[in-house]
Amino acid sequence: MAEQRLVTRTQFPASAESLKPRLKKAPEFPILEKQNWLIHLHYIRKDYEACKDVIKEQLQETQGLCEYAIYVQALIFRLEGNIQESLELFQTCAVLSPQSADNLKQVARSLFLLGKHKAATEVYNEAAKLNQKDWEICHNLGVCYIYLKQLDKAQDQLHNALHLNRHDLTYIMLGKIHLLEGDLDKAIEIYKKAVEFSPENTELLTTLGLLYLQLGIYQKAFEHLGNALTYDPTNYKAILAAGSMMQTHGDFDVALTKYRVVACAVPESPPLWNNIGMCFFGKKKYVAAISCLKRANYLAPFDWKILYNLGLVHLTMQQYASAFHFLSAAINFQPKMGELYMLLAVALTNLEDTENARRAYTEAVRLDNEKDL
Amino acid sequence: MFYTPSSELPTHLILRNQLRQVFFPSLGIHLPRPPQLFPSSPSSEASSKWLDAHYDPMANIHTFSACLELADLHGDGEYKLVVGDLGPGGQQPRLKVLKGPTVLSESPLPALPAAAATFLMEQHEPRTPALALASGPCVYVYKNLRPYFKFSLPQLPPNPLEQDLWHQAKEDRIDPLTLKEMLEGIREKAEVPLSAQSLRFLQLEPSEMEAFVNQHKSKSIRRQTVITTMTTLKKNLADEDAVSCLVLGTENKELLVLDPEAFTVLAKMSLPSVPVFLEVSGQFDVEFRLAAACRNGNIYILRRDSKRPRYCIELSAQPVGLVRVHKVLVVGSNRDSLHGFTHKGKRLWTVQMPAAILTMNLLEQRSRGLQAVMAGLANGEVRIHRDKALLSVVRTPDAVTSLCFGRYGREDHTLIVTTRGGGLIIKILKRTAVFVEGGGEAGPPPAQAMKLNMPRKTRLYVDQTLREREAGTASSRPASALCAPPQPCTGPSRQTSTCCASGPPVPTRRPSSPA
Repeated sequence: MAEQRLVTRTQFPASAESLKPRLKKAPEFPILEKQNWLIHLHYIRKDYEACKDVIKEQLQETQGLCEYAIYVQALIFRLEGNIQESLELFQTCAVLSPQSADNLKQVARSLFLLGKHKAATEVYNEAAKLNQKDWEICHNLGVCYIYLKQLDKAQDQLHNALHLNRHDLTYIMLGKIHLLEGDLDKAIEIYKKAVEFSPENTELLTTLGLLYLQLGIYQKAFEHLGNALTYDPTNYKAILAAGSMMQTHGDFDVALTKYRVVACAVPESPPLWNNIGMCFFGKKKYVAAISCLKRANYLAPFDWKILYNLGLVHLTMQQYASAFHFLSAAINFQPKMGELYMLLAVALTNLEDTENARRAYTEAVRLDNEKDL
Repeated sequence: MFYTPSSELPTHLILRNQLRQVFFPSLGIHLPRPPQLFPSSPSSEASSKWLDAHYDPMANIHTFSACLELADLHGDGEYKLVVGDLGPGGQQPRLKVLKGPTVLSESPLPALPAAAATFLMEQHEPRTPALALASGPCVYVYKNLRPYFKFSLPQLPPNPLEQDLWHQAKEDRIDPLTLKEMLEGIREKAEVPLSAQSLRFLQLEPSEMEAFVNQHKSKSIRRQTVITTMTTLKKNLADEDAVSCLVLGTENKELLVLDPEAFTVLAKMSLPSVPVFLEVSGQFDVEFRLAAACRNGNIYILRRDSKRPRYCIELSAQPVGLVRVHKVLVVGSNRDSLHGFTHKGKRLWTVQMPAAILTMNLLEQRSRGLQAVMAGLANGEVRIHRDKALLSVVRTPDAVTSLCFGRYGREDHTLIVTTRGGGLIIKILKRTAVFVEGGGEAGPPPAQAMKLNMPRKTRLYVDQTLREREAGTASSRPASALCAPPQPCTGPSRQTSTCCASGPPVPTRRPSSPA
């Protein structure tokens, strides 16, 4: 039969290497790491079902001794959101091979994901004893300290991590610390260095552009946002920021074409529809503007900017009652803004409610003065 | 009439019944159809660089790119495809050799193949390449598709303390509990890990320990490792038909270079982590560079005469594929991106992919001196890149699990793709095809041309707005009259807004558009 023929073909002459009898695969002790490579390949290809099957098979065969199978099983649990079980499995791995800093790092990461930041820092410190020069340990320690609100220690650790090995993530975290402290200039410094190191990272470019925008340095902001868009033409934040800058310059059509790209990718974004609405407003297409702003309002009913815009457009359309309605809602969310009261006053004047209108104007002036002072 | 798809049918019959199985798998309906093509969009047919040569969704081939090889195994000028097939679900590993669209021979393998490589073993005639299959701790070498030689990895040195303890157990000088304590002590601290026998022993219940020790105490301690990856390295000449060495990566974080004639270990190098993908260039006797992508997410670059890596590329993600294109190392990461690095580890470029990268391989068009990277994606595309530029996109109906490009049969440029469902696709690159940059998507994203999805307003709305304009003052006045007497400005605003809300219907209040 074909089968027998096939079987005989696999008889190999004994190799020169193994003079001892072939006991390396003794019936009770299969090689523990026999299918680690297969588990790994399935895992990196995101083939989690197949991966889990192989892991189960291996664990049964080796009776729970195959460390890598347990490790990958824990990683898959973490990806599925099952952090507690993942933590337990990593702890098993750490018991099976206590010398491995990697297992300790994973245990610490699981603790971090569970919100136990203090415990995580302790385990990271233990891991650091096993492996001094690991940038990942320093970086993650820094992140834990951020959550523990010990920003100085966090900065130290992140700078250590940068000395050992530069990575985009570390720069981003350092930037976030500075922003938390409110130090825009230092944050910009860090992001500039990061962009020098890795000029193609759209996240860094966009964040830097937005920071410049906050500070009002429009030229540089636009430059960085433009760079971000060349590398990734569908980047949502960059397009919104660039579009809003174009709108302030009156370039409504160009802004609209840019927004079209994002509207396909992220159709349910209130700020996006708000901006699109204001583009139409600039082009004097008031009904279209109202439609877009209404959609934005539906998606985000508590956003004062959208309500402000709705009030403004309705005023322009001479729908003073609706305008009044929206503006008063906006004031509820943002009571300290002079412009809102001013618009409210305009609405009230046109509704012939002069008493309340005058009061609104007074309030507006008062708030404006306070702001100037 | 209904035919159920049968996997017992010989492959050539299945080919003739090119079913629409791919579309109606569950119904088992057999619809007669001319063999071959699966639908491709009419506009791309004419301008396509690829000829569809063969498509068999029922080929039942499950493999990785490392287990695909194209070689002239019989020396007759017709190149065959060698597939180390893992079988569905990792059961029934087989060695399949394909010629044209048919399976020439199939033989079962003792264990799952980790990698396959074809290489020339010796200088004398006939100069046909031998086939090496790495599986478990052994490399099986076939010549003319007949088993020729089996190389087993040398055993790893066992822990001397552990050996000593078991020796004592054999002579009954130590009782199981003490043995367990001592072994645990070794496990905590030792550099050399314990053998499988000791690890198993440590797991046992106290009642089982006695029996276990008696059963196993006379065996000597062994530690054996397995091969994770394999590639070939030319020995001393750079010619295409020169003798090559085998380079093996093991689970013990080592790289071994084997002599092709005597199968002795010529060189041993160690890595900080277990290698998954290997790329070599150069010749062993002269100068060579080896790049190893490892399980810890780093890629280490070694040179001849260095026992440890010279350079390290930290990917901060898992490498999914490693291909060397001229002097650039192209690495696919499991964050769906391709990166190009120099051989010193500096990043040159990054390209984002639209779906997860499952496999990568090299595309070489010798006649035009073109080398490019092929990346098989989870959405069924094969993207061909030269540096950052996208040269071409080949679409397949299923996720791509392995790729191979080279001479097949008598055709010089054939692309072989296997898909996740076990299908096999063979495409031939047209002789007139020239890869130009920008063959893929370029310019502004297509979404820019689409119109905005604007909510529509009805006639009723327009009427209501007119009504409000005319009667605005009147409609809001009664409501404000109901409000309480003067209070600080924030107060009445709040109150009037709620009053107005309950007043005459304001048409603009309803959310007009569904999200």
